[in-house]
Amino acid sequence: MNHLPQAWGRPRDDIYGHYDPSHLQTAGPNAHTQQPIVTGTSVLAVKFKDGIVIAADNLASYGSLARFTHVHRLRPFNDRALVGFGGDISDMQYLDRLLNSLDVNENYGSPGHVLNAQNLHTYLSKVMYKRRSDMNPLWNSMLVVGLDGDDKPFLSSVDLLGTTFSSPTLATGFGGHLAQPLLRKLADDESQVKDVTREKAVAAVQECMKVLFYRDARSLDSYSIAVITKEGGVELKEDEQLEGQSWAFADTIRGYGTQVN
Amino acid sequence: MDTLVSAYSRPAFEDEGYSSDEHHELVQSPSSLSLKFAMPPVAKPSSFLRALTDDHANPDCPIKLAHGTTTLAFRFQGGIIVATDSRATAGNWIASQTVKKIIEINSCLLGTMAGGAADCQYWLAYLGMQCRLHELRHKRRISVAAASKILSNLVYSYKGMGLSMGTMCAGVTPQEGPALYYIDSDGTRLAGNLFCVGSGQTFAYGVLDAEYRYDLKEDEALELGRRSILAATHRDAYSGGYINLYHVKEDGWVKHGFNDTNPIFWKTKLEKGEFSNVTANL
Amino acid sequence: MASSLIADPTSSSHNLYSFSPSDQTASDIRQHSFYPYTDNGGSTLGITGNDFAILAGDTRSTSGYSINSRYAPKVYRIGGEDETGEGAHIVLSLVGYAADGTALQERLNTVVKMYKYQHGKRMTVKACAQRLATILYSKRFFPYYVQAILAGLDEDGRGALYSYDPVGSYEREQCRAAGAAASLIMPFLDNQVNFKNQYMPGSGEGHDLHAKQAEPLPRQEVERLVKDAFTSATERHIEVGDGLQMLIVTAKGVEETFYPLKRD
Repeated sequence: MNHLPQAWGRPRDDIYGHYDPSHLQTAGPNAHTQQPIVTGTSVLAVKFKDGIVIAADNLASYGSLARFTHVHRLRPFNDRALVGFGGDISDMQYLDRLLNSLDVNENYGSPGHVLNAQNLHTYLSKVMYKRRSDMNPLWNSMLVVGLDGDDKPFLSSVDLLGTTFSSPTLATGFGGHLAQPLLRKLADDESQVKDVTREKAVAAVQECMKVLFYRDARSLDSYSIAVITKEGGVELKEDEQLEGQSWAFADTIRGYGTQVN
Repeated sequence: MDTLVSAYSRPAFEDEGYSSDEHHELVQSPSSLSLKFAMPPVAKPSSFLRALTDDHANPDCPIKLAHGTTTLAFRFQGGIIVATDSRATAGNWIASQTVKKIIEINSCLLGTMAGGAADCQYWLAYLGMQCRLHELRHKRRISVAAASKILSNLVYSYKGMGLSMGTMCAGVTPQEGPALYYIDSDGTRLAGNLFCVGSGQTFAYGVLDAEYRYDLKEDEALELGRRSILAATHRDAYSGGYINLYHVKEDGWVKHGFNDTNPIFWKTKLEKGEFSNVTANL
Repeated sequence: MASSLIADPTSSSHNLYSFSPSDQTASDIRQHSFYPYTDNGGSTLGITGNDFAILAGDTRSTSGYSINSRYAPKVYRIGGEDETGEGAHIVLSLVGYAADGTALQERLNTVVKMYKYQHGKRMTVKACAQRLATILYSKRFFPYYVQAILAGLDEDGRGALYSYDPVGSYEREQCRAAGAAASLIMPFLDNQVNFKNQYMPGSGEGHDLHAKQAEPLPRQEVERLVKDAFTSATERHIEVGDGLQMLIVTAKGVEETFYPLKRD
């Protein structure tokens, strides 16, 4: 313990070693699962009056290389819950196996009883928080969507730190910066959700996928989209193609390449 | 066969979710002051903890713990005077001006608090528990020497892990008379007549050493304790708030107020003519 | 040479300590690059009165400059019957790293419920406050990154409020602000709740002026102060806004109010 007045009570370098700020860095020298390798980018979701829309593209990037172009990142759990994965793909696949085993155990243990989206979200948030506390995180940010215990639309997120939050519209990764402001025009508040129709929600999500493809260098024009309603269950389409792209704006970009003014 | 299989196979997802230990801990009736601590699963926990909490080495560190203090205690013919300020700082932020830095371990024993506020509160509460258990086992009150040794052995066992406390144990017992010990988180334990601890210790020592005699009268001793803390709150930015004053006597301790430094300062200046460095014009 | 007689405490060639000092080259070979904390912003505030206690918090959740959610409550009911918190008599606010906050809230909630089932009576706020301190301290070496405020009514029915640092040092107070805008709100509270630096007009000149004595405020006045504190903090802090959630503990139970804040 330091006894000099200006540093009184603080650790002494000769006992504790030098102050090591590298603990505070989020990037640095790495060990096994301490950084993502093959990654998926944004996941978007919006609530509408009797359900929810979620979308994610089908790309798994290896750094800046667009490595795998048919990776499906929307994972239905049952007919009332679905998880959208962003972040590390290997951890996504691990979580997929984990959810499989959860589903099997649930069906053996209590037949007839199904986990709803809210239950699933609670479960995943515990898994993620436990892993971060073990300093061995699953490098994902996920959106859990579906119906809650009262058959109301449910949308909530969980990330590698176990942080959870929910909102009428959510987007992970780059989408948090690009898509979320656009989606919030649709419903910024829980009370506005009742005015959002399925058509409007789907169109907004598709539009956002397009905007993301324009500007997110780790995105792809083929994507998966799912709509979950009480009546229709999970309606998942996994090989959608972006429509109505217009790259006219590219002409107006200044400041790159050989072009000077 | 089933038993064989289960002995050599593990469930696929054993490590996910709460362990059975953690489950048990939640359901079982709570053991209050335990010695079980969760550790960060990293190679150098103390280095990790320091990176997060050392606001001197890194003023931008994310977790700022309450710190900073002036505390003093001295022995004299009439017992022991214990005095502290009441400020807690987290970096440059004054987290509180009303901290009770004198902890009443029992009716005859006092502990003081300097360094990590939580460390002092927790371990002095733990010490209080051990002292009570000693009384129940041995049918007599624990000596100050023994109590202080429980504490110093305890913190020594955590040495190098990042505890920060500089504490004094003061008490009067029939076998020892007035007894005063200094214990810090390095494991140091010293008996003595006079100690000042904390970031404002030097300022308090200045006043205390100049005026201290063992044969001080009670009112003189109380005034000296108060005046020493006042000097420290005046010159040490990390000390301030209220002056907490106790007198430990043979039949237990007596509290002599928790008083705002500001009126005391002006009284000292205007009535006694001290602090002539400060102008009296408002 | 005199200096050679004095052992150099910084030299690592010989061990001066009775335990092994840390490896000085620690920073070169560290293993983990994962940083297990984040700050989700926001602010909380608690004020007590004669027969009530109020805990309030804004409902914005942030990471960096992004707003995660406009409604992520950080004030919780403790010791209620079901997941809605019905029947709770203690409230807790947690600001800092939200996942730690949730984990801590669930842990304390379990403890308070188990206490009721095992002892057949409600846990007092005083006991709950001490228990929360030991829970926080049990993570002394891997802290919960949260600032907690606990509130309820004490044995005499008076408002009680306890504030905590991340590793469990705690103190009973009249009022406390925590979180991102604590440094904006706390000075306001010192002045308006504890009447710091307020004097009685006409009570004297210069040094003879008498300080105004603090006294518990009525509930309406406190609710007004809380709203003023949060609307002002919203103006000047980027991590505060969207909504103000207030839990008010009285002898009748816990009431909840919600008041919209600016969403910019």
